[in-house]
Amino acid sequence: MSNREGAAFVPQIPYGTRDFLPREAWRKRKVENTLAATFANWGYEEVVTPTYEYLAVFGEGGLDAVDQVFKFFDRSNRTLVLRPDMTTPIARLSGTRFREETAPLKFFYLANVFRYEDAQAGRQCEFYQAGVELLGESSPVADAEVIALAVEALRAAGLQSFQISIGQADFLRSLIGEIGLDEQQAEELRHLLVSKDMVGLVNLLESALLSRDLKDRVKHVLLTNGKAELLKEAKALAGSEASRKAIENLETIYSLLKAHGVDEFVSFDLGLVRDFDYYTGMVFEGYTPGLGFPVCGGGRYDKLLEAFGRSQPATGFALGVDRLLMALEKQDKTLVKPPAPTIVAWEDGAQEKAIRLAASLRAAGKAVLVQTAPSAKPAAGMAEDGEYIFVEK
Amino acid sequence: MRQELTIALPKGKLFDKAAGMLKKVGFEAEGLSESSRKLVIANEELAIRFIITKTMDLPTYVEYGAADIGIIGKDVLAEEKKNVYELLDLGFGRCRMMLAVPEAMRREKLTDYAHLRVATKFPHVAEQFFRRAGIQVEIIKLNGSIELAPMVGLSELIVDLVETGRTLKENKLVEIAEIQVSTARFIANRASYKMKYDRISRLVEALRQECGG
Repeated sequence: MSNREGAAFVPQIPYGTRDFLPREAWRKRKVENTLAATFANWGYEEVVTPTYEYLAVFGEGGLDAVDQVFKFFDRSNRTLVLRPDMTTPIARLSGTRFREETAPLKFFYLANVFRYEDAQAGRQCEFYQAGVELLGESSPVADAEVIALAVEALRAAGLQSFQISIGQADFLRSLIGEIGLDEQQAEELRHLLVSKDMVGLVNLLESALLSRDLKDRVKHVLLTNGKAELLKEAKALAGSEASRKAIENLETIYSLLKAHGVDEFVSFDLGLVRDFDYYTGMVFEGYTPGLGFPVCGGGRYDKLLEAFGRSQPATGFALGVDRLLMALEKQDKTLVKPPAPTIVAWEDGAQEKAIRLAASLRAAGKAVLVQTAPSAKPAAGMAEDGEYIFVEK
Repeated sequence: MRQELTIALPKGKLFDKAAGMLKKVGFEAEGLSESSRKLVIANEELAIRFIITKTMDLPTYVEYGAADIGIIGKDVLAEEKKNVYELLDLGFGRCRMMLAVPEAMRREKLTDYAHLRVATKFPHVAEQFFRRAGIQVEIIKLNGSIELAPMVGLSELIVDLVETGRTLKENKLVEIAEIQVSTARFIANRASYKMKYDRISRLVEALRQECGG
């Protein structure tokens, strides 16, 4: 179609942002309400932090990708950043406002966060997260709780098909040291695991390790996904106190997950590496069909809070609300559209009567839309029902 | 639990070998051929279906989960940089990605080629190669017949795939650097690999035996 008036001005929205139209906004609200109720049900309290903070705060958090954050300046030229995650602001809170509180602290949040990303479906530069942080408790009971809560939150939101993979940052770190990789090889290995390049990983191990037996066992433990059996094999491979302890930690978590009744949703993947550097123990990611990236992820980060003046262990997870909505669109048909309100129409002169009727219906708990202009009386065939009421003078 | 698998295969030179190797390990469907008019070919009995995609699009199908697994060249994977599991090197479809220049324009060192124009189908791989070498060049993305570009003065250099080297010779081009060696890879969607781990990992193992690794 040609445009004879010339090209009309079409305002654009910035790269990596999106609008939520009524149906989408309704679905988002509904899912977020469910998540918030689930977190509250487990004794977590909501916190809200500023949308932007000083860059230094995130520097403390060990943010390795400073070029991935949106930066700007305040009036005295201090660098501000739009929060790239919520874990660091909550760590800052606990080190300042909650310095005197006794542990453990249990917080949850629903927030938009910002990162430069190659935008695509389910991955925007501004995206929405829901998550929890459990601060001041180092026991596997805390780790198992956040994993079980992640499962529960996904289920409550209506997701039917998903899988949680659990790894151990400490185990991987110790193992890399024990098998004798140099620093460059260790960095390469980490990179290959993050990019899921298992061909590159096998090639690296083949060229870096000496003994045939060790090569095969390391490959097996890093590449296999499994349950109790895999942990047993990993324990046999563990060559130090640290790596053995890391596996025992997962064994305890696994038996607690059985008590939570969620063990069918989890498996172990000891090659799992998260993209934030601050993890120190158990790490996990949740996957669901049709999404190329995790729908949720988290883990233990015992060193992060130290940077904020209160050294204490912590664990938690974040869930991508946009990604969850995408997955639900495919799996849960009940979230299609909001219920339609009752429409109250009126003929000229009956507006006040209509307004009073609407008020009484709303008081009775109905959603009511009052038309803002008079209508003609409907034809005889068009019966009044619960969805359409015509008010006469 | 029956785990249905959608397998993506690329049109072009990898197709026959990829389909043949899958057939050897029991993954086949009636009427599966590159010239098939059907876009989706299913084998209900085995709970698998094949989709045939354009080569450069294949990683996208797998990243989004439209296909659970696929077979594709490392050259395409390196160029497309998608979030997928790269699980196995299948060994076939071997070719090298080369930097080449017309014989008459050959220079002594790689750095002598700075600030020239490079025609390629693989702009990301080419860009990364020159960035690592610390050389600034102008990359020109083309969709085929790359050898033509230096002949008509569109570019001075080309980055292209070479199997035998015959095309280069015929067009009086010489290799000046090897950028990467590419072979066919078995890839999987990140979620599918977790959700359908049993079936996919069994398939990977069978293929590993088949290609003697």
